[in-house]
Amino acid sequence: MAVNWLHKLASRGSVPVFPVLGKQGDGALRHLALSPQIELVDSPRHASVLLVAGEIPADRFEPLRRVHDQLPYPFTTLWFRSEPWPHLERVARIDDLDDLPGALVTAHLELMEGCRGSTHRLLPDEPPNPWEGEGDFGQGGEGMMGGVPYGRPMAMNMADDIRDGLTLDSLTFRLGPFFFAFPPGMAAEITLQGDLVQTWQTQFAPYPQSLDDIFFNARERPVPIAEVELARARHHLHRLFHALHLAGLENVSLRTLRLAHGLSTSSTLDGLRRALSRSGFFRLTAGGGVLGPEQARMIGGSAARAAGMADDLRSEDAGYRRLGFSPVCQTAGDTHARWRQLLDEIDQSLHLARLAERDRVHTERTGSVETPRGPWSARRPADASALFDELLPGLEWGDALATVASLDVAGVADQPVGTRPSGESRAVRGGTGNDV
Amino acid sequence: MFSELFLPVLMVIFMLVVGGYAVAVLDRLVASALGTPQAGGIWLAPIARGAWLLIQHANATEAPDWRAWRLAPALYLALAAGGLAVVPWSASLVATDLVTSVVLWGSVEALATVVIFLHGWSANSLLALIGGYRYVALGLSYILISMFVLIGVALPAESLQFTQVVASQEGLWNVIRQPLGLPLFLIVGLGMTFWGPLNLADSTDLAGGTASEISGPPRLVWDMARAAMLVAFSGVAATAFLGGGLGPWLPGPLWMSLKMLAVLSVLLLLGRLLPRLAPERCVTLMWVVLLPLSFIDLVWAGIGALL
Repeated sequence: MAVNWLHKLASRGSVPVFPVLGKQGDGALRHLALSPQIELVDSPRHASVLLVAGEIPADRFEPLRRVHDQLPYPFTTLWFRSEPWPHLERVARIDDLDDLPGALVTAHLELMEGCRGSTHRLLPDEPPNPWEGEGDFGQGGEGMMGGVPYGRPMAMNMADDIRDGLTLDSLTFRLGPFFFAFPPGMAAEITLQGDLVQTWQTQFAPYPQSLDDIFFNARERPVPIAEVELARARHHLHRLFHALHLAGLENVSLRTLRLAHGLSTSSTLDGLRRALSRSGFFRLTAGGGVLGPEQARMIGGSAARAAGMADDLRSEDAGYRRLGFSPVCQTAGDTHARWRQLLDEIDQSLHLARLAERDRVHTERTGSVETPRGPWSARRPADASALFDELLPGLEWGDALATVASLDVAGVADQPVGTRPSGESRAVRGGTGNDV
Repeated sequence: MFSELFLPVLMVIFMLVVGGYAVAVLDRLVASALGTPQAGGIWLAPIARGAWLLIQHANATEAPDWRAWRLAPALYLALAAGGLAVVPWSASLVATDLVTSVVLWGSVEALATVVIFLHGWSANSLLALIGGYRYVALGLSYILISMFVLIGVALPAESLQFTQVVASQEGLWNVIRQPLGLPLFLIVGLGMTFWGPLNLADSTDLAGGTASEISGPPRLVWDMARAAMLVAFSGVAATAFLGGGLGPWLPGPLWMSLKMLAVLSVLLLLGRLLPRLAPERCVTLMWVVLLPLSFIDLVWAGIGALL
């Protein structure tokens, strides 16, 4: 009786969801962030429901199995626009974004009330590699250092400190591809001394990102500049939302997302800019990550303009010139400069959109377009995540993650953001044939 | 026997439970006022969350230091209880009226560093470990500032007993007598309880830091302990600077509750309004700005005591 009462009570709270992002899964994440019943959590240990959003490439299946097994019992999974693995039991697939929050709430409710059993583990509960330690504490039998128990090196002093000479034990580990602070799909092998990044090797590049179809259309034919600029501002606001969450400014990050959600030519950035300045976002938070000229050129777009390069394909379009467009730039080229640049560009985009809507101005140049990710002439903006390998060593952990958030490195996918599938949410039959 | 042993224990347990719940509700109220809608109702949501954590299993990591990992949340809760035990609600209503209660609070701050590191280290997991490192790297700077500021309030009282510190504020509260004291102590409080802008141990960039690997009942205890430590800190701040239970018309415990709620609200509001400081800026702020200010506060208090 008491247990039932406890379970009923537990089902009354918000639903802790750990999102695993596949291709084009980030839209679901933003939709859920605005749903009051859903609490998106950053660690799988803090979740009741594992949401697999978007198609997961086969080379990320193994990490997905490991993340899946990190959720504490009782837990359940839900797949959004992604085909559940056939051997999973009682797994629901949802295709309609509007149905997703409700489906997550129902899954949690059923789990708490005992109508749905917990999902089972996929991997055996044993170390990933055989025990190879020797000595009293498995350290390898060489004094206090060395050894590779369970196939991973122990933290030990293997290299000089690259900052201030205070040498600590180096700790090497792999993170991603579902770590919330990385671009979706990215994984890296990192060596830290204390919280200082000593080496960084990007192992999986992030998934190519899908842009709004207006940028694809702009390459083919003249399109209304108002639409292009609103899509650009929305893309930048989505990135800012993510960075503000990382910085611990939860309220402002949701405000940013709401602004992006209802963005129109009458929207203004003044309130958000004021809130960011007053909070000290540009002065107090983690920064660093200065791009050299070559690195800035490699990424292109707003990151290059934040480093002082006034390259922007919009300058070559007669439509934009009629609206008085000229690129805005920063000079410092660091994380804070990139966020200032982004805010200036959002402001500029909203201003251009207002003028273009009033005068009904269209783009005039086809064959190339300045996307929010950078210039797209002959080739789409390509992945630049390898840049992290040279940019992040020497930064503290917080600065490194702030730098990663401030750089839009994922390449552009060959398809625009998918149109929403029509039809209601549906359940598919799992491997054991249980309907959900 | 009852009044000497059981009553103080009951009083501390009552404060742990009610205080922890009050922090959870207040934080949701602040978030809601700042534009983040809360699911499940502000009053019920903390209880629903507690029930969920009781149902959720405590997970395992690979080869953790089990004893330390399971004990750390309980030890942190015990430290918060120790802090609450020396907070006087009125001249006579105090769980333990030690003559060295200010020193005991100092030891709570110092031991918290050990327990928080233990929590991060014993999980045998990367992000939790970094959280533990960070707290140790910054903890000393909080504690030094806190000690100077608390010595400042002990001087006019000529005592290390919180009830005497309250009595010394009959004529003038320390918040006015030593204007630097309370602002400095509030910043120390955010650091010591790793809350909001100074939450570098359990931060978002570490996916929860020392708490990134815990679930179920241990997480419930850890969350309760963090909230209780915030309440204990608010109690000490209200005692040291806002005259504790002193005030006209209302009974002492009510005045004390109101003052603690005011301090809690300020801390929770700062926690929601400010971004997390970069660790390096945090160290600079503590050692270059706040520590010299705490010296000035101490000299100010000393001169005031001599005059």
